[in-house]
Amino acid sequence: MSSTQHEGEPRRSSQGLEFSSRLTQLLRVRELNVFIALLVVGALISFSTPYFLTTDNLMGVFRAFSMTAIMSIGMVMVIITGGIDLSVGSAMGLASLVTALCFDYGAPMGLCIGAGLAVGVIFGAVNGLLITGIGLPPFIATLGTLSIGRGLMYIITHGVPLTPDTPESLAFLGQGYVGLVPVPVVIMGVMMVAFSILMRRTRFGRHVYATGGNEHAARLSGVKTDRIKLIVYTTSGTISALAGVIAFSRYLSAEPASGFGSELDVIAAAAIGGASLSGGIGSVVGAVIGAALSGIIANGVVLMNINTYAQQAITGAVILIAVSLDVFRTKRRGGFS
Amino acid sequence: MRNIHTSLRYLILALPLLAAGSAVAKDAKDIVIAVIPKVAVPFFDDCNTGAKKAAEALGVKYQWVVPQNTQGATQVKIMEDLIAKKVDGIAISVNEPKSVEGVIKQAMAAGIKVLTFDSDSAKSGRSMYIGTINEAAGATMGESMGKALGGEGEVAIVTGQLGASNLNERISGIKKALAKYPKIKIVATEGTEDDLAKAVSVDEALFRGHPNLKGIFGVSQVGGPSVAKVLATKEFSAKKGTVQVFAFDDLPDTVKGVKDGFIKGIMVQRPVTMGKLAVEHLVAQINGNEKESKDVDTGVTVVDASNLGSYTK
Repeated sequence: MSSTQHEGEPRRSSQGLEFSSRLTQLLRVRELNVFIALLVVGALISFSTPYFLTTDNLMGVFRAFSMTAIMSIGMVMVIITGGIDLSVGSAMGLASLVTALCFDYGAPMGLCIGAGLAVGVIFGAVNGLLITGIGLPPFIATLGTLSIGRGLMYIITHGVPLTPDTPESLAFLGQGYVGLVPVPVVIMGVMMVAFSILMRRTRFGRHVYATGGNEHAARLSGVKTDRIKLIVYTTSGTISALAGVIAFSRYLSAEPASGFGSELDVIAAAAIGGASLSGGIGSVVGAVIGAALSGIIANGVVLMNINTYAQQAITGAVILIAVSLDVFRTKRRGGFS
Repeated sequence: MRNIHTSLRYLILALPLLAAGSAVAKDAKDIVIAVIPKVAVPFFDDCNTGAKKAAEALGVKYQWVVPQNTQGATQVKIMEDLIAKKVDGIAISVNEPKSVEGVIKQAMAAGIKVLTFDSDSAKSGRSMYIGTINEAAGATMGESMGKALGGEGEVAIVTGQLGASNLNERISGIKKALAKYPKIKIVATEGTEDDLAKAVSVDEALFRGHPNLKGIFGVSQVGGPSVAKVLATKEFSAKKGTVQVFAFDDLPDTVKGVKDGFIKGIMVQRPVTMGKLAVEHLVAQINGNEKESKDVDTGVTVVDASNLGSYTK
């Protein structure tokens, strides 16, 4: 039981001192491994196609995976507490739909975005209450809300995409640029930094790790684990809703199947980035790098003109190889110290 | 037991003969027709509209049963329930041709009339198929592209689910039609899982990876809207008008794409007609008025800027 906690992040920071390089202090061992895998895959793709390493393409790739990456920030916090949030895709889709509905009624932009985000707050809070109040396992609670959210979308849309008239300024959020960088990518970057600091430098962050490392011990030492979980699930719902609002701003169309199946991509991003599904281990930066790895592979297989029927198998194989190298390197390091 | 079973079977076999003799075996209001779409998307709402109207006109009871997901097993379960409820006729748009074969045979053996619409299961023994002959529709699409490009250039195919048989038939139709144009080269075929966000990323990568791309076939319903959205961005705005885009199905965003000049033409199927014909043929079969059924191709209309406001489904 307690061994999981020893492997947790708080200990990592002291381990980091053994490696003098500043870089390893910034990027923990685990993240560095996945980051190296990311660079290697990127290098391999750029050798085989001249179109990969162009600003336009890279920014396009960043924008494409930024949705998954943003949602994975909330997901990794949930996973660190030892839980799971299967409802992220529904929260995202429903938020995008509610935003569209508001515009359809002619509400002002601020209200529409607020309403979309509120969906996520409610979604996440319901998840949190089902888990801490009733005591449902996170898998069941969020599976239920996943299904309810999906059903609500079909009830509201009848399967027809909703494309209301929107003010020009809305498009900035999903389609705009700051310099050369697309706005969703900027949002992803800001959130990555903010949540990394929250998870590593604050008491709240330590409590999140403690809850997942050993919930019983954490509670005995005064961590209000139920409150931590409630906050974490609400955060995950809200972040997913933010992704939904950005998606709506990007496509200006609320699709009835928007976000369908994205929970798997999001959980995969967190796990590829080193999060342990049994809790206590994981990081925000890792999750974003995990999303990036899947993102550049998805782009690479199209650019390299790989047979479409083989693409999924290749994607799976590359991810397995990358994460195996990570596990291998981590083990070896552990042996030396 | 066995004897009763056998005699029941004879009775069921004899029923159509009796019906043929008397022409009216059942009161219209006692006939129950169930229609099963693939999943809840706008296309099937139109089928529902056509089927419902036909059922009201004929005075038969009508049921619209929507599967929760696209797995073959879900439709099998629905069919089993309908057999247990002893409906008189079932029209189904098949998600997976193989998986429903057994249950369609079972329904037919129980005396229920079954036909397929929109997406077929050819070996199931269903009485008939009503819908777009997808290969023919694909050929129309390929022919339209051939003309629009003047018989020359690189093209790409953007499809939905890789395993969907109707999409693959369209693709084979496109390829057959393009065989007449040796200077048109298909440089890529990409799947999108029918997800708009994925389709947009795929389109962007296609444009970057094939700078000389002159044409895109949007074979599934996300194809048209996704290309229109990509061509509307600043980065690819130069390609508007130089890339010919043909799409399937007249979703609001696809129609808008034609209006805005991003999409050259849409292959519009006739879902309302499919729904209407499905109910009419089932009732005719149940009443014994239709003894030999033949497949019906409802065809496609090529909708472009010239007939955007005037076409019917």
